[in-house]
Amino acid sequence: MNSLNVPVIKRLIAKDWLLFQKQMAAYVLTGILSLCLLGMARPWSFYIGSLLLIIVLVATSCFAISTSLINERKEHNLAFVMSLPIAPLDYYLAKLIGNLVTFAVPFLVILIGTLAAILLTPLPDGLVVYSLLIFGHILLAYCVALSVAMAVESEGWNIFVMIASMVMINPFMMGLSQIESIHGVIRGEAIIFSSAAIVILTTQVVVSLLLLVGTGWVHCRKVAFY
Amino acid sequence: MAIERLHYLDNLRALAMLAGVLFHAALAYSPLMQPFWPLADRSTSAVADVFAWFLHFFRMPLFFMIAGYFSAMLIEQRGMGGMFANRVQRVLLPFVVLWLPVILSLTWSTEWAAANVEHPSAVLKIVREWSTMADPPQLPPGTSHLWFLYYLMWFYILQWALGSVFATRKRLQSQLPLWTWLIAPLLLVPSLLSVTAPHPAPESFLPQFWAIGFFGFFFALGTTLRRQPQLLDALRRWSPGLAISSMLLYIAWLYGLRRLPPDPGDLAAPWQLAVLGAFISLWMTLHLWIAGQRFLNVQHPWLRYLAAGSYWTYLVHLPVLFVIQYGLMDQAFGWLTKLAISVAATLAICFFSYEVLVRRTQLRRWLG
Repeated sequence: MNSLNVPVIKRLIAKDWLLFQKQMAAYVLTGILSLCLLGMARPWSFYIGSLLLIIVLVATSCFAISTSLINERKEHNLAFVMSLPIAPLDYYLAKLIGNLVTFAVPFLVILIGTLAAILLTPLPDGLVVYSLLIFGHILLAYCVALSVAMAVESEGWNIFVMIASMVMINPFMMGLSQIESIHGVIRGEAIIFSSAAIVILTTQVVVSLLLLVGTGWVHCRKVAFY
Repeated sequence: MAIERLHYLDNLRALAMLAGVLFHAALAYSPLMQPFWPLADRSTSAVADVFAWFLHFFRMPLFFMIAGYFSAMLIEQRGMGGMFANRVQRVLLPFVVLWLPVILSLTWSTEWAAANVEHPSAVLKIVREWSTMADPPQLPPGTSHLWFLYYLMWFYILQWALGSVFATRKRLQSQLPLWTWLIAPLLLVPSLLSVTAPHPAPESFLPQFWAIGFFGFFFALGTTLRRQPQLLDALRRWSPGLAISSMLLYIAWLYGLRRLPPDPGDLAAPWQLAVLGAFISLWMTLHLWIAGQRFLNVQHPWLRYLAAGSYWTYLVHLPVLFVIQYGLMDQAFGWLTKLAISVAATLAICFFSYEVLVRRTQLRRWLG
């Protein structure tokens, strides 16, 4: 296998970051607004703040994928990329890292902010596990949509997968509310990682990683862009 | 890359930081703070109130304005990434490292005082009562007096985010007319209306709207002044007038506070106090900025030393002050003597620790 063209990969990542910085900044601003709403410690502001947080996370993940992969494909950017001295794997890595960076910045800011909001305010600490599972679902949904977007060219399929994986958050939350060892401890002060919670969280992380590795493996085997 | 030194800003920042030590020390003798402050002493004086709350209006606003100016300067010289790298080292790291020791030492000294002081404050009496309970109420952890570091990090993130979303090459007029500065304080009124008067320190870990609006305004003003220093030109000759007006407004504010004293259950300030507070804050801060440019743009070895040591002093002064003022609670001195002893001893210990722990060690890079 040829060695990676690291300088070009770095430039492609920087290009993605520069192009999407404005939108990512807007998502970070909305995330801060949500945290301020949570900070007001009133029932209505907590509800709006937490809803806004989920909306921001979903929007962030969909935006990164649709703009950096699907739109670029529609605009035939690949033809230009093929003129650069890079292999399909380089391109895959640049897209993967670029997407992960643009997703990870608001994701991590909001994740840390949410955990701080729960742990350092009068909100019940039992919410930590439930929140981590929600964040885990968004991470998994993002990885599913990202992997499909990198492997499948059809715009229709991509939009379907993106929407379906994110919309699944509703049944996922309903499902969690049926698990007593998770839902029953939300209002308590103890942070209890029940075996069900650990299994779900581990599955989310492991499947997310497997999806990214699997997509990488497919791209590793490619000798040409088409 | 070396950063240009602006001596008046270094000196102003040092004064703002050291004024914080004076302010926190004076709170112990403030009649207004008797129900709220753990260090509240039985010797009180209205003079302490008059002095402390006036400082309160412009001390931190001035600090945030200077911080905004320096962050814009860092972006100019090192780019956004360079600014963040520098701020992580100088702001985030000290916050992360010092937060826990500060909280633990404040908790320890307060518990000790609750158990041992013969003339406890109202807050200490509550702590004493809680200590006898099997399951005492737990207060959520806060940022303590390090809240300013925490908010600075939020302001840097907001600076990047707002700069990216609203990127523009447009600039304000080269000079803002005088009337703009006269009505500008109205922008601060909504923030001050949504908290009690006098405004508290935003110590919660969750960012507060009012604190972002109030202190963020001064931070943004500082960044704007870096790009357009001439904005204040129309105001320069009126600067003494701003100071005199602020003092007159402050007298009105004190009168208003006497008529409408704060209550622990209050969620918002009376509008009269919020409006007066907004004008005093902005006008006094602008006056000090202009006066600093005129009178403090000097370089002396001892001023340099004071400027370098003031950051560390401010970071560690509160735990030291707590121990000293708890120790003074049972003494029969007058409030002024206690104030003088506590300030002098706190500054001596903090500057000594700066000399020993920071100035001569690698810590100077972060905290010097």
